[in-house]
Amino acid sequence: MTMTIIETENLCIRYNGSGKSPGIRALDGVSITVRQGESTGLVGESGCGKTTLANAVLRMLPPTSGAVRFEGRDVWRLSGAELLRFRRRVQMVFQDPTGALNPRLSVGASLEEVLRVHGLASCATVRQRVTELLAAVGLEPVYATRYPHELSGGQRQRVGIARALAVEPALLICDEPVSALDVSVQIQILNLLKSIRRQAGLAYLFIAHDLAVVRYMCERVLVMYRGRVVEEAPTEDLFQHPAHPYTVALLSAVPDVERGLKARHGDSGRIVLRGDMPSPVEDIPGCPFHTRCWQTTEICCHTAPPAVTVADGHISVCHFAKHHLR
Amino acid sequence: MELSRSLVEIRNLRIGFYSHQGCVQAVDGVSLVVPSGGSVGLVGESGCGKTLTALAIAKLIPQVRDLHIEGQILFEGRSVFDMSESELSLVRGGKIAYVFQEAGAALNPTMRIGRQIAEAIAAHRRGSNTDSEVHNLLRQVGIPDPSRISRCYPHELSGGMQQRVMIAMAVASRPKLLVADEPTTALDVTIQAQILELIKAIQRSTGMALLLITHNLGLVADSTDLLAVMYAGRILEWGLTEELLTAPAHPYTAALLKAAPQLSSTAWRAEQCLESIRGVVPSPAQLPVGCKFAPRCCRARPLCHEAEPDLSGLGGPLSSGSTPVEEQPDKRITLSDRRRVRCWHPLSETDG
Repeated sequence: MTMTIIETENLCIRYNGSGKSPGIRALDGVSITVRQGESTGLVGESGCGKTTLANAVLRMLPPTSGAVRFEGRDVWRLSGAELLRFRRRVQMVFQDPTGALNPRLSVGASLEEVLRVHGLASCATVRQRVTELLAAVGLEPVYATRYPHELSGGQRQRVGIARALAVEPALLICDEPVSALDVSVQIQILNLLKSIRRQAGLAYLFIAHDLAVVRYMCERVLVMYRGRVVEEAPTEDLFQHPAHPYTVALLSAVPDVERGLKARHGDSGRIVLRGDMPSPVEDIPGCPFHTRCWQTTEICCHTAPPAVTVADGHISVCHFAKHHLR
Repeated sequence: MELSRSLVEIRNLRIGFYSHQGCVQAVDGVSLVVPSGGSVGLVGESGCGKTLTALAIAKLIPQVRDLHIEGQILFEGRSVFDMSESELSLVRGGKIAYVFQEAGAALNPTMRIGRQIAEAIAAHRRGSNTDSEVHNLLRQVGIPDPSRISRCYPHELSGGMQQRVMIAMAVASRPKLLVADEPTTALDVTIQAQILELIKAIQRSTGMALLLITHNLGLVADSTDLLAVMYAGRILEWGLTEELLTAPAHPYTAALLKAAPQLSSTAWRAEQCLESIRGVVPSPAQLPVGCKFAPRCCRARPLCHEAEPDLSGLGGPLSSGSTPVEEQPDKRITLSDRRRVRCWHPLSETDG
């Protein structure tokens, strides 16, 4: 049984309103497990809570209720050496490579700082270690003397990854790591992340809005909507047999060259959802998706749907969940 | 394919300016047409010059120091660069409307939506009952509760709603052309789909032409008839969208197609390994000699690094500076549906 690195149990994070405003349920009962070496994708649109979840896992946002556990221990009960160990083992790669780097530090200085803070290299070995880290992300040693503004977006992202790797993490949370990059550079960075994972046996929690990227990078995918996980499954099973209407709509909305060309000669088969996601402040009774779902019936409006296992490791939170939905 | 009239004709557009890196030729010899009522896609990665090209159509290029513009842009047969300020103010917003990526940034945060739309209407149309016009426009763009939304401020709306409001303001004057620069990039996919369907519906009912600028090939696939692929300030390939995307002639187009995340492609699976385009997009201030894509091209040969090819028909090179437009003896503009490609060794049907 592979070790569980991170586990959340019924995690709720609620931002309280003041006065008349009722507050926002950013996370509404999320339970996920990330095991050693596993690559888990987290998809959903704005407001679904995926970044909030990442921040909760990183111990940056306290839960309103529920728990976040690292190697079985509640992260908010960690202190001292144990907390420092947690900080090393769970790292993040951010979406904006520019904002994530200190513009006044050279690349080498940024990496050295990390190594020194965690006591991972002595003065004698730190330069060597920096060179190794740069090599691991495909950058030549000379980049240690460069400043962030002298690098391209792709290069900055490589430095961000090097910095996360410097502390030898067990879990890398990647929050939209390539969406700010040109298409031609995206694959370079994705392939880099893949090879690092293979070599170091890392686990990934991969947040992306681009479903094709998630399909390429992950073994398992969780689909979120309004603070809840609505479907989770092994990657190919999710893409080939989506069992939740929201997943189906999401998949059909993704712009696609082949499907787009076919659509010129007939119906694109694209499902266009009604309306916008309701305001996060609004309390939606029953299923959170029922206001936009084309299959909504009476029960959806007042009863929260159960988590239905439609196949091995494949769960859909829907009153009408079934393995072959389309 | 023969089209009666081109609405917009860009001929050999060159836009250059001085930056701290020296002389930068951001757009270098771009020619394209937008037929009346047609849809043209302009794709390329960051820094390729697509936004500047689009802004040039209504002479909206920011006035920076040492800016120099060459070439010609014809709108409805008249040269845009020769128009007076008063003529331009009628064209901008009136005949050519723009929609940009960040709708929120374009809306006045201190003014209610209804009033902003009314302003847009009043600017180009006279003598209408603006209140009901505003509500009609909001309905036209799929906003179900127009009287409530009119009283909202921009920050009270979601990104998708803000973009719909922008589109409402843009089409208020029933423009001949809508230039949409990455109109859906900042939006969620499910909202993206709605916005594009909306634009297409407006086109069907009003005959409006569309110039869609994006880096996303999936969007141009079903929304455009003609496609220009830009790189480093120039067009590398031009032609019918369907042809370009099913059988690209330029290695860059083919590479973009392979590099673009596509759900329908079996290459984007966890067990696969995708081939990336080596290198990075060159800085406009430091373009290589010869073909601008050559340093990254897997088909490059010595000639490619020495001399830059012209944009020519697939059948063979034409005279230099050739445009995709030909003037027939009877002065009718005919859009040549011959593909144009800027490459010494274009891909052919037999290439893998």
